[in-house]
Amino acid sequence: MIDFIQTTLDGLSIGSAYALIALGFTLVFGVMRRINLSYGPSIMLGAFAGTWAFVTLEAQPWLVAVVTIAGTVAVGMYVERLCFWAIRKDAAIASMVSSFVIWMQLEEVATILLPGRTYPYPELFKFGGIDIGPYFLRMEHVTTLAVAMFMLVVLRLLLYRTRFGLALRAVSESSEAAVYMGISPVRITFWAFVFASFIGGVAGYLLLAADQQVTPYFGLWATFKGLIAMMLGGLGSIPGAIVGGLLLGVIEAHTQWYLGNAVKDLTAYLVLFLVLVLRPGGLLGQGIVERHAQAFRRI
Amino acid sequence: MSEYAISIASNMGMIAFVALSAYVVLVVGEISFGQQAYFGIGAYVSGMATAMWGWPFGFALVLGSCVAAIAAFAVGALTLRLRGLYFAIATLCFAEMIRLGLNSIHVQVEIDGEPVGPDGAEGFGDIRWMFEHDVTTLEYMFIIYALLGAVLVVLLLVERSNLGAVIRMIGQDPLLARSQGIDVGTCKLLVIVFSGMIAGLGGCLYAHFATYIEPNVFNVMLGVHALAYGLIGGLGTALGPIIGVVLDIGFLEGVRAIQGYRMIAFGGLVAILLIIMPRGILDEVRIHHIKRWLRRQ
Repeated sequence: MIDFIQTTLDGLSIGSAYALIALGFTLVFGVMRRINLSYGPSIMLGAFAGTWAFVTLEAQPWLVAVVTIAGTVAVGMYVERLCFWAIRKDAAIASMVSSFVIWMQLEEVATILLPGRTYPYPELFKFGGIDIGPYFLRMEHVTTLAVAMFMLVVLRLLLYRTRFGLALRAVSESSEAAVYMGISPVRITFWAFVFASFIGGVAGYLLLAADQQVTPYFGLWATFKGLIAMMLGGLGSIPGAIVGGLLLGVIEAHTQWYLGNAVKDLTAYLVLFLVLVLRPGGLLGQGIVERHAQAFRRI
Repeated sequence: MSEYAISIASNMGMIAFVALSAYVVLVVGEISFGQQAYFGIGAYVSGMATAMWGWPFGFALVLGSCVAAIAAFAVGALTLRLRGLYFAIATLCFAEMIRLGLNSIHVQVEIDGEPVGPDGAEGFGDIRWMFEHDVTTLEYMFIIYALLGAVLVVLLLVERSNLGAVIRMIGQDPLLARSQGIDVGTCKLLVIVFSGMIAGLGGCLYAHFATYIEPNVFNVMLGVHALAYGLIGGLGTALGPIIGVVLDIGFLEGVRAIQGYRMIAFGGLVAILLIIMPRGILDEVRIHHIKRWLRRQ
């Protein structure tokens, strides 16, 4: 029983990082109905900029965090302008493919910046963790969980309590109607992208500070973990992204503990495949799929 | 031709199969991140057929592409309800399950005192049919291009036919197609099965060309590249994905001068291309213009 709860706690802490990445994906997808495949690689490049500052300039950990987040936001802006803003509105697949070729570009920039395979990344806290009864929590993981919850609250407040959030939801509902209301979808989309990149940068920093190392594969890993977590919870739903991320973390932790490392990833994919086949809207988002199915049945 | 040129040309031919299979799914209106799985299934099954059971090459090709087609049928039937991103992620999950599953498959038999067969993450080596039958790489390249040509001819014929029009219609608007009395589900399933078959055939050829395969060759990067080829070359004709492959592999290998920066150059060029031509170089409108021009001549 102690093992079970400890594993669940470990899963929740890695899951909260997944949840943050999924939040960024959800924000962009919710506004644009498009997938940004180079979301993970932009976090990776931001992290490489941070670790470059750490390795060559011997920057302090807080400075590394600032460089990582600022780098991710800068790369995010570049991706938005090139792959989303510039491409015609009815060409969603072109945006996706364009973000994929930019991914290849970002990876090459990262390997030019730092040609090795693995680089150290500074840790967040020098003190190890806290004991609660028989359980042990690493301090980095507690921080990640707390930041994820904080971001959820901030995002909710932003979306439902501010004029910007209202405009963003209007664009998400119908960008044509939003234009008639005097909202500029281009501006809203841009800021949503910047905010998503900021969340991604924070998530990337927390994850890498817990791992204390960074590799170019982080981009691939982050993109697909974020996509899986988002789809698991339900596309376009903010609570869904959090639930999906946490659930993915817990599933992975348990399968790794009981069945071994080889089965870990396999189970995550199997669960998502079954969720999609049996309950196509994900766990917390049924609306879109249901509406579509009804329209189909009427004919 | 030098050995190097032959290997580049053969690689382009084999990747073209995956690109074509991703393209036909794109034409029917879905995005698949999972075509690499059928490529992998074809490679493993046909490799096992020739190396372990001593089957002739031709039968191995048929077996490999049929098994891949059956897998595509299973996936297609399960995901028939899904659209857009849901379909894309479901196919991604399937493909990753296949890749990770191949990592833990150990089926080996003793041949001449040596173990032969898939050995999990260690891969599957000694698929030596080409050496045992004295097929030179040049001859093998001709086999690849003959089969690629056959697949292309079939695709171009289908595109001229009524079925081709129906498939494009589903890709444009499935609701409208349904209201015209078209059985959308069956048509989609047919296309998906066919796409699996094409990718599987490419995989069979790949296994016997490379003689060594490992599960990581069939990762998601291969599938996303295949998608990109279709979109670069254009979604208006089956020649589009071929153009994409030639541009990518030809460009990457051709431009040695910008070594180390070539993905930066290529990525930027493709991004600009997609801004100007969001459905690729040979898109539907341009193909229509070309056909009209040809008819006038």
